[in-house]
Amino acid sequence: MSEKGAGMVSAVCRFAGYLLLVLVVVAVSSCSNHNGSHGKSGHASAAMDSTLVITMLGDADYLNPVIGATVTSSNIFSLIYPALLQSEFDTTTGLMNYMALEKKLRDVTPGQGKKTPKAAIAKSWQLSEDHKSITYILRHDAFWDDGKPIISGDFKFSYQLYGNPVIASARQQYLAELVGADKGQVDFDKAIETPNDTTLIFRFYKPVPEHLALFHTSLTPLPAHRWKDVKPDEFRHSPLNLNPLGAGPYKLKNWMQQQEIVLASNRRSNLPKPGNIPSISFKVVPDYTVRLTQLQTGAADVVENIKPEDFTALLKANRQIQIKTVGLRVYDYVGWSNIDHEEYRKSGTFKPHPLFGSASVRLALTNAIDRQAIIDGYLKQYGVVCNNDISPSLKWAYNSRITPHAFDPAKASAMLKAEGWIPGADGILQKNGRKFSFVLYTNAGNARRNYASVIIQQNLRSIGIDCKLDVQESNVFFENLQAGKLDAWMAGWSIGLEIDPLDVWGSNLKKSRFNFTGYRNSRLDELCELAKQKMDPKGARPYWLEYQEILHRDQPVTFLYWIKETQGFSKRIEGEELNISGSFYNIDDWRLRPSTTVAP
Amino acid sequence: MLIYIFKRLLIAIPLIFGVLTLTFFIIRLAPGDPAAFFIQPGISPNVAEQIRAQYGLNDPLPVQYFKWLANVLQGDFGRSFSRAQQPVFDVIAEALPITVTIAGLTLVANFTFGILIGIVSAIRQNSFLDRFLTVTALFFYSMPEFWFALMMIILFALKFPIFPVSGLNEIGAESYGVFGFIVDRFWHLVLPVTVLSINGAAGIARYVRGSMLEVIRQDYIRTARAKGLPENVVIFKHALRNALLPVITLMGSSLPFIFSGALFIEVIFAFPGMGRVTVEAIFARDYPLIIANTFISGSLIVLGNLFADVLYAVADPRIKL
Repeated sequence: MSEKGAGMVSAVCRFAGYLLLVLVVVAVSSCSNHNGSHGKSGHASAAMDSTLVITMLGDADYLNPVIGATVTSSNIFSLIYPALLQSEFDTTTGLMNYMALEKKLRDVTPGQGKKTPKAAIAKSWQLSEDHKSITYILRHDAFWDDGKPIISGDFKFSYQLYGNPVIASARQQYLAELVGADKGQVDFDKAIETPNDTTLIFRFYKPVPEHLALFHTSLTPLPAHRWKDVKPDEFRHSPLNLNPLGAGPYKLKNWMQQQEIVLASNRRSNLPKPGNIPSISFKVVPDYTVRLTQLQTGAADVVENIKPEDFTALLKANRQIQIKTVGLRVYDYVGWSNIDHEEYRKSGTFKPHPLFGSASVRLALTNAIDRQAIIDGYLKQYGVVCNNDISPSLKWAYNSRITPHAFDPAKASAMLKAEGWIPGADGILQKNGRKFSFVLYTNAGNARRNYASVIIQQNLRSIGIDCKLDVQESNVFFENLQAGKLDAWMAGWSIGLEIDPLDVWGSNLKKSRFNFTGYRNSRLDELCELAKQKMDPKGARPYWLEYQEILHRDQPVTFLYWIKETQGFSKRIEGEELNISGSFYNIDDWRLRPSTTVAP
Repeated sequence: MLIYIFKRLLIAIPLIFGVLTLTFFIIRLAPGDPAAFFIQPGISPNVAEQIRAQYGLNDPLPVQYFKWLANVLQGDFGRSFSRAQQPVFDVIAEALPITVTIAGLTLVANFTFGILIGIVSAIRQNSFLDRFLTVTALFFYSMPEFWFALMMIILFALKFPIFPVSGLNEIGAESYGVFGFIVDRFWHLVLPVTVLSINGAAGIARYVRGSMLEVIRQDYIRTARAKGLPENVVIFKHALRNALLPVITLMGSSLPFIFSGALFIEVIFAFPGMGRVTVEAIFARDYPLIIANTFISGSLIVLGNLFADVLYAVADPRIKL
């Protein structure tokens, strides 16, 4: 039998050998055509030389400015559609600047301000003296890609879409100052007037600062002639969404959903000009390691949000990669329930939280947490200690006189002792029979917060506080947070470039939907209102300085660190300018250096 | 047999409806909100309400259920919440061919290599070759697929850049012509199919080995050899056919896998297949898409089991349906 068995094995092995041979032959023959991602064939190489590849975590939801709600969507549709104004973040002041063809909101420092206003459809604007209306004069030479002119009626039509509750645009907040909005419904006949094709007038029910009027009236338009017959309840699933008609530097060439969006330079565009790079491919690559590998092999040119721990290996492996940073817009914090949410839910009364109700205890907790150690250990030079929610990048409002609370466990212990928290037999602090013990919740899938939470747990344990960690699925975490079911949690915010923090700190908890801590301070409410009433943002500076001092004193949360967002760029990209308002804000000016591997 | 199949299909209808009803209530009772994305600073609080109204989520649960039931009975599973309100079966129709290609290739490779390795191991039982194949098979069988996939990428896409990292085609692949395009597509499928099939083949090899060992000790095999039949005929005609009976069960239960997708592989290699559709739908609380996916996979499990039972009867005349 063993002889026969051996014969069988050799037959099977022969078969397997043939199979392997066939596979190898196929592999080698294909390899000569498409040698992985390095040695491309002539066609592929030429395609790569004229194509910029940007990886994305997920697909765009809509390439329609009215309903596209994700950052990815907005990055892409802003290249396809025209804009009424050009906006730019001025890094010397931290203020937004708005530009029409012949007018700027403010003059910028020489050397700053890379954007040209050529893409703006507005030639100029005039704000009325009472700040209750703004009149735009539009240029004559702006056209949709089908050759029809871009007219004031397109803007009015689009604003009606933005304000339509059936369409449910995520940008309807921009219409909140228009006439009628105070009564619950914008009166479009009165709020937006179009006396002729090149005059566009917006009317507000209250005086609005100029920068806010410009910000809120410059939403991206849709071509009215193309969309006018689409019923509102069919708007979200109209086939027109897959075939956008724009006027910007790029147009949609191909959209393979959940795979790739390809834009081609729009040769017709004069808003401001056709994009320099002939083709931009936004590829969906959900896995982080694979995105990183693609950057390393040259299969991708831009990968966003690279983790600091990967920099060294990445730069060592491929010298054609550079790390660029933008920020500071994102911060993490530890939230403490200032009030007893259970009591508030039951009776609507405000009772201080038994653990975190006292500002002195919260301050002690901040003193006990070594924020610098988290930065040194994880974020390194890409993190900055955070004192409050006004970013150091918003220089005009930032209070640089505030000294961060130092890491001082001894001081923290003394403060807790003064508040009546005394170590028990097990070493855990106790007061009136209650142990200082709680669960710190965070959302799943965030390595940075996981790292920080472990350090926080150790720091608090060293002063006798028992902090347990729990990670929840993001949807569940957010729902619990909204319902006030968490006593302590770690989360983060990405701030807007216009300061408007009442949603997060306002004392009216029904109105301030994101005041998860239940912090209430009437002076803070007053400062936010006073700042809003100033017609010149710089005039509101004293209010914001005081606002920051209050937050620093009361510590409704422990602000941890600001994060510099880190993006991996291939060095074959030239002319890129990263800005706090977005990594791709001048992408139409980027160029690609041709690959040196192309055969002559 | 036809009556048997008809009966089983009839029983399947209430079963699948039961599964769908359970899914309907479980996902709605689970924490999370399909409109949660619209609850953030800078977005009017009205938006989430308007979105919920559009999705019909403001009605009481029983009303939602009966409305849903009425639509489903007319074959309308609704529109996806998270994917630009596409009809759910359009979403599935886009994802399915990709998953079927990967899973079809994987299944062929799985069974081909699994059966071959299983036979060799069995007929050379306890030899060095058998031990080597057993240890290797166990090694790959116990390896997490996502980790193995990442290792393969690091090895074959990074260290030795032979295969592409991800995606279905190279940029500019349209210019290769039809044949070139297909070869490029296959070239992109080598790594994912290898990862999936090595793992699967290792499992099947263990089944086939065990089953073969049992069969080749049977009297009728000895009789076949005593008759002087060539070893090829003994193994392939007499032993293998009997040894493959348990493998048929595996084949039946593999059917849902063909359509439900291999999640990790699809995420890692960026293939927009069924696995990714399902998991993304769950995270986005995209109720209609979750239910449609449950419908597809539930129906396939029922059909797969039926298919396996029928195959049993075909392969083994002793089994009567």
